[in-house]
Amino acid sequence: MIDETDELIQRAARSLRALPATNPLATARIIAAVRARRAQAPSRLALVAQWMREPTLSAASAAFLAAAALVVGFVARGAVRTVDGSSPDIATTSEMPLPTGTAPALPTANTRGEGVAVAFLFEARNAKSVAVVGDFNNWDATSSPMKRFGPDGPWTTTVRAKPGRHVYAFLVDGSTVVADPRAPRARDLDYGGDASVLMVTTP
Amino acid sequence: MSEIDPAVALRAKRGDEQAFIEIVQFYYPRCLRFARNMLGSDQDAEEAVQDAFVRVHDSFGRFREDARFDPWLFRILANRCRTLLARSRRHRSLIEYGEVPLSAAAPAEDFGADWAEEVRMVLETLPAEQREAFLLRHVEDLSYEDIAAVTGVGLSALRMRVKRACDALRARLTEVEQQNDR
Repeated sequence: MIDETDELIQRAARSLRALPATNPLATARIIAAVRARRAQAPSRLALVAQWMREPTLSAASAAFLAAAALVVGFVARGAVRTVDGSSPDIATTSEMPLPTGTAPALPTANTRGEGVAVAFLFEARNAKSVAVVGDFNNWDATSSPMKRFGPDGPWTTTVRAKPGRHVYAFLVDGSTVVADPRAPRARDLDYGGDASVLMVTTP
Repeated sequence: MSEIDPAVALRAKRGDEQAFIEIVQFYYPRCLRFARNMLGSDQDAEEAVQDAFVRVHDSFGRFREDARFDPWLFRILANRCRTLLARSRRHRSLIEYGEVPLSAAAPAEDFGADWAEEVRMVLETLPAEQREAFLLRHVEDLSYEDIAAVTGVGLSALRMRVKRACDALRARLTEVEQQNDR
């Protein structure tokens, strides 16, 4: 496929062709971001329907309806405690860095009742179950169960939260509470112990 | 260079999440390679690739069913890279110390590993549009017709960009090799 090149240029091109290894966490983050977008998408259709029904919707209202889809990615390292106070075994938790990131802003129809879709990502390879608990779901362990992305992949789920400050944590195997070490820490929670702070913003 | 089965792209366009996951897993390494070579930063490259796939997902409605997926994907990715480069240039302009002459580089000891690093350093000195054209042609093995679809630039201008990139790389890498031989 090489044209108009000599041996030096071919050698340079070859050195640039090494493919980076696939990082399952990176691809999981992309899927989580896309799932957050999909969670917003029905609202966009609803917005069109609402505009058709209410053609006089004010610009201020429309601006209020714009919201961001967030992706919360983190690594569970340390900051772990169990509900009964014993030391949990999370040695199988990955040490791969997974920076917190946000997806680009996405217009949505109705943040007043339903909130902004926030995708959570969590890696705990040997966990049997993981759920995200926070003030947005009344710390209900059954409200937001996470699903595994692939056989050994991270756990993901999408939750709706209203714009503003939220406190959350992850519940592993129904008893181990894990705070996000890469997010601001919150103390004295309803659920007890440390957890993390999430800011949901509207653009 | 292999392309994804067009039927998979079609399923993804119609909302099949598993097909979209197949696309991400299939193209992620190539996309990350291109973004790294364009941006010279792992963190920026990962951001560009994630943004590109999210935009692919959001824009699938505009993807023509009879079109090839590769040029469309790389068009979106190249746009993301250009945006990040512009942002990075604005940032760098605040901390610019001036260009370091190539002759100031330390001589290489491990030729294999250092050669790749030297190539990347020289690549970074090229104008972004030449770097982009060179990478798409000689690293990603896209045809000139596909590169035209990716960049929106005419064929003759693209050939000129690739030639200029090759000329500049040849001159600078020859200088690097001569220094290493001393």
